[in-house]
Amino acid sequence: MVVRGIAASDGIGIGKAVCIREETYTFSDAQFAGKEKEKERLEEGIASFTEETKKLAEKIRKSSGEKEADILLGHITMLHDPFMLSQMQENIETGRCAENAVDAVCTMYADMFAAVEDELMRQRAADVRDIKARLLAILSGKAPIDLSRLPKDSVLVAKELTPSMTVELQTENVSAILTEQGGKTSHSAILARGLELPAVLGVAGITETVKEGEGLIVDGTEGMAILSPDTKTTAQYRKKQEKAREEKKQLSVYRDRPTKDADGQRYEVFANIGSPKEAEQAVQNGAEGIGLFRTEFLFMDRSSLPSEEEQYDAYAEVARYMKGKKVVIRTLDVGGDKEIPYLSMGKEENPFLGYRAIRYCLSHKEQFRVQLRAILRAGAIHGNLCIMLPFITSVEEIREAKALLEVCKKELRNEGKAFDEKISVGIMTETPASVLLAELLAKEADFFSIGTNDLTQYILAADRGNPKVEYLYDECHPAVLRGIQKVIEAAKKAGIPVAMCGAAAAEAKLIPLFLAWGLEEFSVTPSDILPTRKRISSWRKSDAKAAEKEAMGLSTGAGIAGYLTGVLKNRE
Amino acid sequence: MVSQKVTIINPMGMHMRPAQLFVNEMSAFPCEVTLHADGREANGKSILHLMAACLKKGTEVEVRCDGAQEKEALEKAVELISSGLGEA
Repeated sequence: MVVRGIAASDGIGIGKAVCIREETYTFSDAQFAGKEKEKERLEEGIASFTEETKKLAEKIRKSSGEKEADILLGHITMLHDPFMLSQMQENIETGRCAENAVDAVCTMYADMFAAVEDELMRQRAADVRDIKARLLAILSGKAPIDLSRLPKDSVLVAKELTPSMTVELQTENVSAILTEQGGKTSHSAILARGLELPAVLGVAGITETVKEGEGLIVDGTEGMAILSPDTKTTAQYRKKQEKAREEKKQLSVYRDRPTKDADGQRYEVFANIGSPKEAEQAVQNGAEGIGLFRTEFLFMDRSSLPSEEEQYDAYAEVARYMKGKKVVIRTLDVGGDKEIPYLSMGKEENPFLGYRAIRYCLSHKEQFRVQLRAILRAGAIHGNLCIMLPFITSVEEIREAKALLEVCKKELRNEGKAFDEKISVGIMTETPASVLLAELLAKEADFFSIGTNDLTQYILAADRGNPKVEYLYDECHPAVLRGIQKVIEAAKKAGIPVAMCGAAAAEAKLIPLFLAWGLEEFSVTPSDILPTRKRISSWRKSDAKAAEKEAMGLSTGAGIAGYLTGVLKNRE
Repeated sequence: MVSQKVTIINPMGMHMRPAQLFVNEMSAFPCEVTLHADGREANGKSILHLMAACLKKGTEVEVRCDGAQEKEALEKAVELISSGLGEA
């Protein structure tokens, strides 16, 4: 059987299905085995919860740090709370089974926390729910799958790939990822590409269709998967996989070369990263800098805000690792599809048109200051950090953020702390307003970086995560391309650097257009660095200009895509 | 019963990590430990109650200890809170 989805991360993966299903616990049928027996079950459950959590905390201490581990250890203290325990036991006394007792008491505490006035404390509700879910899983004997101990050649099948899953995932044993949710630019996709694992997303109902352990071929380049393939098909795909590996090897010659086009003009290929760990991967792939360092990871999968020191450590790690090379740090881009529970931003009708990124930060200046101070201080180490403000729609937003930055500098000066006095502050041009205002914004910002993922969805008014309108999302759409062209031209006129950090930067067929317009910095996923460098090297400016002229004369996205694909084919 | 007033000084107040530290230390004493502030009362050996009381930075709390080793418990509690609960 063949299923189709969205080609989210290149490559072919062959293996056996490991399904991560969202468990819904029904324990109405759980038999009450007597008060003593149920209390014993509860005690045993709590004991294994404690043991498991301690192990998990140790693992996280090594991978993510002390504070993340402490949060997990806090779950143990919470579960061992004398009130929580005695209330569960009282529940059992009234004739309820252990599962029901856990459910009732945890729900009560979760509701209690959800109702308190303090915003951060309200987040404890999520911790209590987490404790409940894990304890119920243990009691019902459905231990969750340990992602760090998957058998070799596992194909991960899940509703969604979450950041916390990737922390645990033992990538060397995973050959591909298949999910129900997510589009090409969703977080699942970005995470999969970051891990360099083939992925097909948006396959409706796949966690139901696939049987545990079933043979699977995932073609992340074509966006399809084959369930229970026969030996002939498997052999074909093994050959294809081998060919892809060979191509990868050929690309390796570009690792230590500077990026140049066929005329010898210099360009730069940077990496987009989402954690300090990925900087290493970026350098291994020959990145000439970091064009987009997303900072959301610092705020995710935890229950309170990261301190200035924690943030400083993360920025300093990357600043040191990249040494003299440029690192562009994007300030917190929360909201839209990125939810951070403890920030309590509330549900919105239209999150993508709502309270997100710079809007949130400028209305939480106390929190924003912490991040700006941490970046300023880490910038002092090698002077290679830049600040990038996301989701700008007006000149005022830049001015307000820069004014706050000046306040931070003054504070640091008074405190006698070292910081980068001349740090540059640029913006992500990813809204239609920022395109239309590009000339004016270029007078306020030190650089532009075109975020084509959001820009495409906002120009075309098509939610990139919604499979029903995914077909409208098209980077080759003439409206999108004209927007990009306008931003590049405005930056060149103002004499400020302009980069591109969206998925379009790695799109082979669009490269001649970008070269013709004069884009000089391409920031891509680490695995796209070498292919992008190779593609740039094959173009002469005159050829790129000729292709651009022809393409931009066409009036439809399909027409432009078709023409440019044809151009690439002819050049091969 | 013995009691003493002390002000919470760590920046985030009595959130998860400080509360965890406090409960772990207090559980070693046999006496009852309660925190009183603004008419609220929280059991000093319950992380859930401590957190739900939302004791923020700057709040003056009265620590009451009642029972065996109450003096030692009070001394420890005051020391912990006034030193910033491992965070200041």
